[in-house]
Amino acid sequence: MKRRIFAAMMAAALAVTGLAGCGGSTEQKNEEKETAKAEVPAEPFGDTIKYDPSVEINDGKDISVELWEWGSDDLFQKVIDGYTAIHPNVSIKLVNNPWEDYWTKLPLALDGEKGPAIFNIHNSYHENLINYLAPLDIPLEDLQADFTGVDAHVIDGEVYYIDYGMMTGSVYYNKKMWEEAGLTEDDIPKTWDEMREVAKKLTVRDGDKLIQAGLNFNDDFHQNYLLGLNYQLGENLFQEDGKTPNINTDAMKQVMQMLVDMYEVDGVGSKDFGEKGSDSFGQGQSAMVIQWGHYYNTLKTTWSDIDFGVFEIPTFDGNPYAYNRYNGESTFGINKNAPEDQQAVAQDFVKYFLANDEAQIEFNLAMSTFPAKKSLAENEKILENPSLRVLSEHIDHYIWPGPMPSTMETSLKKAGQDIFFNGVDIDTAFAEAQENIIKDMKNSSFVSVENLYAYAE
Amino acid sequence: MRRKISAVVLNVLLLLLGVVTVYPFVWMLSSSFKKNSEIMALEQHLLPQVFTLDNYVNMNAHFNFLRFFLNSLVVTLVVTVLVIYTSTLCGFVLSKYKFRGRNVLFGFVLSTMMIPWCVTIIPKYSMIQSFGWMDSYKALIIPAMFSGFGIFMMKQHISSLPDEILEAARIDGANEFYIFHRIVFPMAKNGISSIAIFQFLWTWEDFLWPYLVINSQEKQLLAVGLKMFNGQYSTDYGALFAATAISIVPVLLIYLFFQKQFIAGIAASAVKG
Repeated sequence: MKRRIFAAMMAAALAVTGLAGCGGSTEQKNEEKETAKAEVPAEPFGDTIKYDPSVEINDGKDISVELWEWGSDDLFQKVIDGYTAIHPNVSIKLVNNPWEDYWTKLPLALDGEKGPAIFNIHNSYHENLINYLAPLDIPLEDLQADFTGVDAHVIDGEVYYIDYGMMTGSVYYNKKMWEEAGLTEDDIPKTWDEMREVAKKLTVRDGDKLIQAGLNFNDDFHQNYLLGLNYQLGENLFQEDGKTPNINTDAMKQVMQMLVDMYEVDGVGSKDFGEKGSDSFGQGQSAMVIQWGHYYNTLKTTWSDIDFGVFEIPTFDGNPYAYNRYNGESTFGINKNAPEDQQAVAQDFVKYFLANDEAQIEFNLAMSTFPAKKSLAENEKILENPSLRVLSEHIDHYIWPGPMPSTMETSLKKAGQDIFFNGVDIDTAFAEAQENIIKDMKNSSFVSVENLYAYAE
Repeated sequence: MRRKISAVVLNVLLLLLGVVTVYPFVWMLSSSFKKNSEIMALEQHLLPQVFTLDNYVNMNAHFNFLRFFLNSLVVTLVVTVLVIYTSTLCGFVLSKYKFRGRNVLFGFVLSTMMIPWCVTIIPKYSMIQSFGWMDSYKALIIPAMFSGFGIFMMKQHISSLPDEILEAARIDGANEFYIFHRIVFPMAKNGISSIAIFQFLWTWEDFLWPYLVINSQEKQLLAVGLKMFNGQYSTDYGALFAATAISIVPVLLIYLFFQKQFIAGIAASAVKG
């Protein structure tokens, strides 16, 4: 009897909670739908890539396509609503996916004729997707005129996707700790030497025990320091052939030595102080971290209690070859196996997206990426975001090496861990990393595009 | 005295093991009432320092929870009922009928349990695609109608039923259909309960297959929905815990209703052959 009462109670709880959760959201969504009616532009819009809303698509006949993406339903839906307001005969069904498993499902679906006509891309999966992509039906020179970094995406004269935004690393600092250490805006470091001094001031110890780290790079030193600061010292990640990794170099070792010295000589942090630097900063344990743009959103959502500021990554001498590495957030892919009428809609949709400044701004703000669209570099809304504002002055001095195989990250992470935790010397660890990467990339078709950097020497 | 001490030691040990097993679940349940910053905080507390229901109220931000939940419930119940029926039927045939190739057939059924799912998933996907069953519950239900494990369990279980009862029924004029539905089925309820619990749980928590074959949000299942909380750069733990807490209620209910028969069924299948 007791069991049945308990079961009945659970069932009731389930029904009430489920219905409550559902009710709120449905009402909210209906409300949003009523208020958010997309405007229909009357005139062609865009910079060099122009979108003319008066041109019919699919001869005005009804057509449905799917758009697959991960993560941000509302963001994508808004672009879809804008497009379908212009073309009411087109219906675009948004299919949301979990990030990790998207990359299992998408290639399977693209292999047949019934895969999505439009899909979101991340360039780290370039090799898995490129054979399913149709080239963009937009002249190369138009793309080049409106967007930066297009050249890096040209394959045999065709472009399959480009970047709408560029993400890179900046320094995030805790304003409260900054003030408590007696630091002001004038103390924002420009060089690594200054950074180390500031980090020392921000470090708090109780005897030998570290209470507050001045700088924390645990778990992400490979991504945020090793794979980027080499450029400041004039060294690429790949050798001239674009295929051989350039890891076992003096520049890389200098960066690694600086990291070791920061923890072991300056004592501004510790390999054992917090598993992840990013979490430690959010938990109010570390005063500074270098993180990529997405961290801005994480701080706003998960760690909303932290009052933080952002400044540009320091350099070794104030005049770097490049400031850091960046990675692009990619525009949509078009499925070359989709029926022709669907591909035509997909091509038109991508053109609409590229010409539409509002969509470009919203996507960049949502991802905390700096717009690749040249005309938006000075946009007010973009510059209101501090993580983007700090990049604006030198954004042309960041390098994209291309969609690097993941072994670059994993091998350097292992090298760093061997140095910090297993007492391996830097020379040995980096020689091993170099060997590992060469072995792992044996069958990779990757070729670096570092040579396309505007200031390449 | 000695026996008493051993009993106490054993009970303490079991209690400790029980706490270790249950603690993560309690932590998850409790964390579903915390803000994300508290879940991720350096200093952890079992109970929420700031109690919030926001995670439950807002979990629909990621997907239509109730819709996914009901979809899962329907698919899981249908698959479970079908598997119970087909397993009992096949178990009955394999244990009570003597025919040439019976053991080979049973061996074949057993062999299906030994092939890892990752080997079969791509051919299965291609078949479903060519049948035109993508984005349809047919793709979830039809391939899951027969369970090697279920057939094995029910064969073991039904073979323990005395042949004399079936013979007596035949002498009284019962046909095979009647015998199966009116005699074998009711007498196999312990085995059926075990299969019901296992199959319900497996179908309820199955993620990859439903994710691969279902595209429409309105048809998607809860196990897939729960993955939506894991973003590219961060995870909404609070909402994930809230949704998970609710999603396990049906499994608990099924176990509560069938636990007595489940234990008896498992024991019977383990010792009879």
